[in-house]
Amino acid sequence: MSTVQLNGGQQLAMKYYTVAIALFVAQILFGLLSGMQYLIPGFLQGVLDFNVTRTVHINAMIIWLLYGFIGSVYWLLEEESQTKIVGLKLGNFAFWLFTVAVVIVVVVFLVVQTGPGDDFTRWFVNEGREYIEAPRWADIGIVICVLIFFYNVAATFMKGQWSGISGVLTLDLVALAGIYLAGMFYTTNISVDQYWWWWVIHLWVEATWEVLVGCLMAWGLMKTLGVSRKIVTTWLYIEVALMFGSGILGLGHHYFWIGTPEYWLTIGGFFSALEPIPLVAMVVHAVYDSGVKHMKANNNPAFAWLIAHAFGNFFGAGVWGFMHTLPQINLYTHGTQWSASHGHLAFFGAYATIVIAMIYIALREVRGQQSFGADLPDGGWKWKWALGLLNLGVVGMSIALLISGYEQSFIERAVGGSTWLGYFTAQIHPWFVQGMWWRMVFGFVTAFGIILLVWDLLTIGKHNKPSAEVISPTQTASV
Amino acid sequence: MLEPVELKDFFIVFFSGAMVIMAGALYALLFAWSRLQSKPWMMSLAYLSYIILFVAVMTLGSAAHLTGFWWWLVIAMLLGYLLAPHGIWKLCVATHAVKQGSEHKTTDTTCTNIP
Repeated sequence: MSTVQLNGGQQLAMKYYTVAIALFVAQILFGLLSGMQYLIPGFLQGVLDFNVTRTVHINAMIIWLLYGFIGSVYWLLEEESQTKIVGLKLGNFAFWLFTVAVVIVVVVFLVVQTGPGDDFTRWFVNEGREYIEAPRWADIGIVICVLIFFYNVAATFMKGQWSGISGVLTLDLVALAGIYLAGMFYTTNISVDQYWWWWVIHLWVEATWEVLVGCLMAWGLMKTLGVSRKIVTTWLYIEVALMFGSGILGLGHHYFWIGTPEYWLTIGGFFSALEPIPLVAMVVHAVYDSGVKHMKANNNPAFAWLIAHAFGNFFGAGVWGFMHTLPQINLYTHGTQWSASHGHLAFFGAYATIVIAMIYIALREVRGQQSFGADLPDGGWKWKWALGLLNLGVVGMSIALLISGYEQSFIERAVGGSTWLGYFTAQIHPWFVQGMWWRMVFGFVTAFGIILLVWDLLTIGKHNKPSAEVISPTQTASV
Repeated sequence: MLEPVELKDFFIVFFSGAMVIMAGALYALLFAWSRLQSKPWMMSLAYLSYIILFVAVMTLGSAAHLTGFWWWLVIAMLLGYLLAPHGIWKLCVATHAVKQGSEHKTTDTTCTNIP
């Protein structure tokens, strides 16, 4: 794909997007392997054990989303700041450093699957913390890359112009980089270790990432619907206040059962109950603006994925989260397939959708400012089917896991009292097993969706004539 | 301090928890859509959604033994969800009440300076 007409930040963004999609494919591939191993425990045993496939599945997801976020920020950086990117060479160096580190870490995960739990292992093989298994050397590399990224963003805005979006974005990147450090020191106490580990996992996902996608959503609405800057900026401030107001202390819902003081039950329960409020506000705002603009967009696939984001975030994070967030019920559900169900729907709905939307926004310019509307030569069947299959696949997996998780919570936890007997009784129960089979079926539906998505990303807009339709904010209907 | 959910109430807790968020969102959506489209009859559906939300919250409170401090959570949810759509609507109107021509275009170079 030619990127000759793009600015420096956008060319770098396309590199990030390319790796992001490759890792997205890897995530789904290893997800399929992990799902299969649930059903056929001997599958690839001794070659690629479940703990390895699951580690690669989850780490690939976190890293591809990070690549997508970083790429999206680089994409909008020069346009938003109205100046050339500062430190582009350094940014390119950080991209290659990050990518080489990711490749080495994945290869080591696959090649060195067993070993002692000593300092050498922690530094060079696997840190052992779930979701952030990257060894210490890679941790340091990631921090260096994120600092370079932060320098690119902050220095560019300081040289150019600030805006509401860029101000929120820059402050959020301080938290994004800083909180990662909480997962980088060793402690012998599992409660203390878990306490800090959740700072990375929860505060990234339910605070800094949510704010970051709020910035991307604001920018995306301007680009696709032509919503005015004033409106999206005002809403961004409101959503950030609500997100941080509920999301930071919502951290308490992870502190219920790890040995922390009892007051976390109260704090976590209360603030977790508040967490869906910004999501409801976002849905109403999206519907309001879509209604005002009569759903008139210049980039149908991007707009469709933005709508999928608003509703996916609401259902995945809001509904699926609140169903089991109060300690009275979380006592039975935490760590079961119920959590996996929530995780699948929330990560896809809140994050994967917006990264895909941003990639479509970028591709429209890459392919020469073409309108991605009804005038696509093939009628846009590939993006529509990809959207449908990916959403159907993930929703199907989430419901299948929900059924398995419900059975686990009931039989293993409530009836069996969290004993080994309870665990194995739940694992062989027909409801659990059938749920796992259905998860596998919908996993393949998701895989077909990603094949179509990649095909569409490689081909969309390549064969139609430039006919960009400019949607300007002045087309806003009076209210 | 904390009384776990009883076995017989398992499904009730999950379902009522989901209904709290679903009915809350439906109430907010119908409220906004009714005002946006000037359709007063839709407002009745919005408040019907709130009644469903009210029932869901009370059911959740009963099944999850939300007593003592937790009772205040129930009150906060009911009040918050009742007032939030009004607030969200007012914000929508206020943020959209800009004069034609005073808005920035998407690629507008005029940006707000952060103090």
